[in-house]
Amino acid sequence: MFPNVLAFESKRMLRNFPPMFFGLVFPVMVLGIFGGIYGNDPSDLWDGLGTVDVSVPAYVGLVLAVAGLMSFPLGMVEYRSRGFLRRLRATPAQPSAFLTAQLLVNIVICVVGISLLIVVGTLVFGLHPPARPFAFAGIALLSGAAMFGIGLLIASVARDEQAALVIANLVYFPMIFLTGATVPLELMPGWMRKISDALPLTYAIESLQWAWLDRGDSIGVSLAVLGGTIVICAAAAARLFRWE
Amino acid sequence: MTEQAASGPFVDARDVTVRYGDLTAVDGVDLSATKGQVVGLIGPNGSGKTSLLSCIEGLRKPAGGTIRVGGFDPVTDRTRMTRIAGVQLQQMVYPPRATVEEMCRLFASFYPDPADHRELLDRFGLSEQRRSQVVKLSGGQQQRLSLVLALVNNPQVVFLDELTNGLDPAARRVVWDELRRRNDEGLTIVITSHYMEEVEYLCDRVNVLLKGRIVATGTPSELIREHAGDAARLVLDGSGGNRELRDSLTALGAGVQVRVAGQRLLLDVQPARRAEVDRVLAEHGSTPRDLPASLDDAYLNLTGQAAGSAASEADNVNVS
Repeated sequence: MFPNVLAFESKRMLRNFPPMFFGLVFPVMVLGIFGGIYGNDPSDLWDGLGTVDVSVPAYVGLVLAVAGLMSFPLGMVEYRSRGFLRRLRATPAQPSAFLTAQLLVNIVICVVGISLLIVVGTLVFGLHPPARPFAFAGIALLSGAAMFGIGLLIASVARDEQAALVIANLVYFPMIFLTGATVPLELMPGWMRKISDALPLTYAIESLQWAWLDRGDSIGVSLAVLGGTIVICAAAAARLFRWE
Repeated sequence: MTEQAASGPFVDARDVTVRYGDLTAVDGVDLSATKGQVVGLIGPNGSGKTSLLSCIEGLRKPAGGTIRVGGFDPVTDRTRMTRIAGVQLQQMVYPPRATVEEMCRLFASFYPDPADHRELLDRFGLSEQRRSQVVKLSGGQQQRLSLVLALVNNPQVVFLDELTNGLDPAARRVVWDELRRRNDEGLTIVITSHYMEEVEYLCDRVNVLLKGRIVATGTPSELIREHAGDAARLVLDGSGGNRELRDSLTALGAGVQVRVAGQRLLLDVQPARRAEVDRVLAEHGSTPRDLPASLDDAYLNLTGQAAGSAASEADNVNVS
């Protein structure tokens, strides 16, 4: 049963333009633009680091955000608000199998999207390998969990597809523009950085860059924020999530 | 199958009560179907048909009562009950970006011994739509797909809520034939419908639900005999403009109702007045056509809606 559910959800994902484009193509496009303009030569802006080396870990955050904040919750709300989960309850199938399958499919999008960024970054723009590869993988996992946790919370509070779309957009766009995922924080005035400090993705990107670049700063606060996000979202979603 | 199922009704709902807040939607209703029986549930919108069915399908926990389907409790024994039951909900909803065949494969994968979905699609006239996305099908095609999905597990019983809603007459015939054939092979069928000819054609037994209670039950013929009323329904084709005839009939007074429907005169005649009416008609050289009493009449009388008879034909004339 579960392999069939997974196959079903995979085919539906392949036909779903927004998450495919914004998860797989868009981040590479952004990398192409900024990599093309600045290259990866050491830059004063980044204290001697290359633009591509700084950008790729940030765009990893972009991939995680689109899958976790948009694609995942919208898929769940789509099923629930249309009453398809109710129809499933009249079969021996478990609705949780569909939740799990959608989660897995979105994780695959993340893995492929991140791989594409790293491959294109390395082959085209001379991206340097990560300083702490295992820490990077672990932090990517933690950041992903935080984004999907927020996504699950969005799916829990949104009553219908329209509401989910509005909430997801309200969460997603500040996250991608004010956290360093697309526009470097270094370019922002102080008041904007105050907003950044309130957004979990900021901490994800900070710690992803820490692992990739071997920047000296401590990431204790970042990890605590990400862990806290996961715990709070999971607890709230457990209380608020409804199958129907 | 359990012993209980072998001895008692295959579908056995007793004293089922459903409440939405203060509103009692279903009020202590019994509904049963023996193995291989076709049972109909009719009643106006909001009479509790779908609420009752939802409980039997295991989608809603009733406020009171006991339900067994094939011996299984639909709520506590969901997995085993849903394996033997096929369900069509009143409003079928499909996930976006899935094809007809993918939906069939998915649903078939839920069951240990599914039917061949290609044959089912073929029988319900959906073979050519196999690769189409479900959300792009017409309403009638989506409705037929929901029947295919209700049958894909080779069920022993199906619950079909407004099964031919939105189907054209030809497609409706196909659905009736397919259900009849499966019923001959032992399938137990519970339906709701607003189409009385469908209920009359398919059902062994009909339950009339009104405001959450069953107000009548019986075979279609029994319901017609007992509840369609005694008035004879006569149609005089081409006499709609015959003022003289109309006035003579109207002059007969109580027990004779006269209505004009376009070119036609429609009469409701109580048995006691029939002889006089026939005399008047003979004087005018007019030959009436008798409308047989139908389940529509019984339904309308039972549910207290626009007490039926020739008036229902007048409605049909107006809309057609």
